[in-house]
Amino acid sequence: SQCPHKWNKIQCTLCKSEKHLKERCPSIWRAYILVDDSKMAKSKVLPFHTIYCYNCGEKGHFGDDCKKRRSSRVPNDDGSAFTGSNLSAELKQEYYC
Amino acid sequence: LEKKQKEILNTDYPWILNHDHSKQKEISDWLTFEIKDFVAYISPSREEIEVRNQTISMIREAVKQLWPDADLHVFGSYSTDLYLPGSDIDCVITSELGGKESRNNLFSLASHLKKKNLATEIEVVAKARVPIIKFVEPNSGIHIDVSFERTNGLEAAKLIREWLNDTPGLRELVLIVKQFLHSRRLNNVHTGGLGGFSIICLVFSFLHMHPRIITKEIEAKDNLGVLLIEFFELYGKNFGYDDVALGSSDGYPVYFPKSTWNAIQPIKNPFTLAIQDPGDESNNISRGTFNIRDIKKAFAGAFDLLTNRCFELHSATFKDRLGKSVLGNVIKYRGKARDFEDE
Ligand SMILES: [Zn+2]
Ligand SMILES: [Zn+2]
Repeated sequence: SQCPHKWNKIQCTLCKSEKHLKERCPSIWRAYILVDDSKMAKSKVLPFHTIYCYNCGEKGHFGDDCKKRRSSRVPNDDGSAFTGSNLSAELKQEYYC
Repeated sequence: LEKKQKEILNTDYPWILNHDHSKQKEISDWLTFEIKDFVAYISPSREEIEVRNQTISMIREAVKQLWPDADLHVFGSYSTDLYLPGSDIDCVITSELGGKESRNNLFSLASHLKKKNLATEIEVVAKARVPIIKFVEPNSGIHIDVSFERTNGLEAAKLIREWLNDTPGLRELVLIVKQFLHSRRLNNVHTGGLGGFSIICLVFSFLHMHPRIITKEIEAKDNLGVLLIEFFELYGKNFGYDDVALGSSDGYPVYFPKSTWNAIQPIKNPFTLAIQDPGDESNNISRGTFNIRDIKKAFAGAFDLLTNRCFELHSATFKDRLGKSVLGNVIKYRGKARDFEDE
């Protein structure tokens, strides 16, 4: 706790990311109004056939999760909307398994 | 009222007048309300729609008088309800006998409309790949483009109306992106900009591929603010223009590798937008958009402006938020004052 580096370490207290401070956390603006759970179908399914990659154009994965070389030269440090991480917990499991 | 409508509003974001959303907890929700206000603000009033319909039917009658075998149809942004105030109305004349695009016919139509006091400032463009006449209808002041004997625009308009029915949020986001590009002069296909159909395809794909929308976890209409920012994020920062083409299959948008699209091979410059025409798979509807570099840069800039504005307003006091605009950071609208009602 005496180590001065600890105080310089960047970590967002909102999402635990080390890429930004909480003042610039994407969760500040990436805030969705979710459909009422009671109105949702009981078991959610992930429609893999409508998932397309913005980076390589192939089906079945989102662009942030593409294994191919990134084609855009603009960095994507904080992650975008098009990632498995942007799914709800139960669907995340289905996507990453 | 007449006089009031002619006044130029002394603000760049008139849609916020008497519409305060600064008390919203989430800035994204504030932006959602502003998007809805902007769309309501630029949408035509009942009187404007009436004037436009009357104008078109007078021109149609005049056309039929000159050529009994012909008819006039509206296509483009007016027929899909995706136009900004002051945009041209696109019409096409089709006929049973055909051949109305000949040079002689173009000039005889021009003088016929002039004689009937239905056209001023007439321009006849007879030599172009797509011959047209352009004019201003003097009573309404509406700018009209007439093309001849081509039905592909009518088919595209029909398809777009289906997409609009199937895709909540498409109309709102398309109008915002159009106005955004318009004020940066990046929406003119003749100067390498992004045309209306291409804009629609980008937004259509974005909405139907969004992780939260495909899983039915969100309704687009409730989330227009965050979706607008994420649209700019996708096409300004992340989309692989070099390798990915947009297309559609069974009425839904798809991405596919450009390398598998035979009709556009060989690709000389990979950093270009490629959108497959739903009506003709060999046609790239965005082939004229040679300025994708500036368009991408503008989208990325809009992402930065909007997210910075969100961070700034998120930590501001309610007192400091008053009278501010989120959308105004990327969209300006200057023109005649318009009355608008909340839906
Ligand atoms: Zn964070
Ligand atoms: Zn990929």
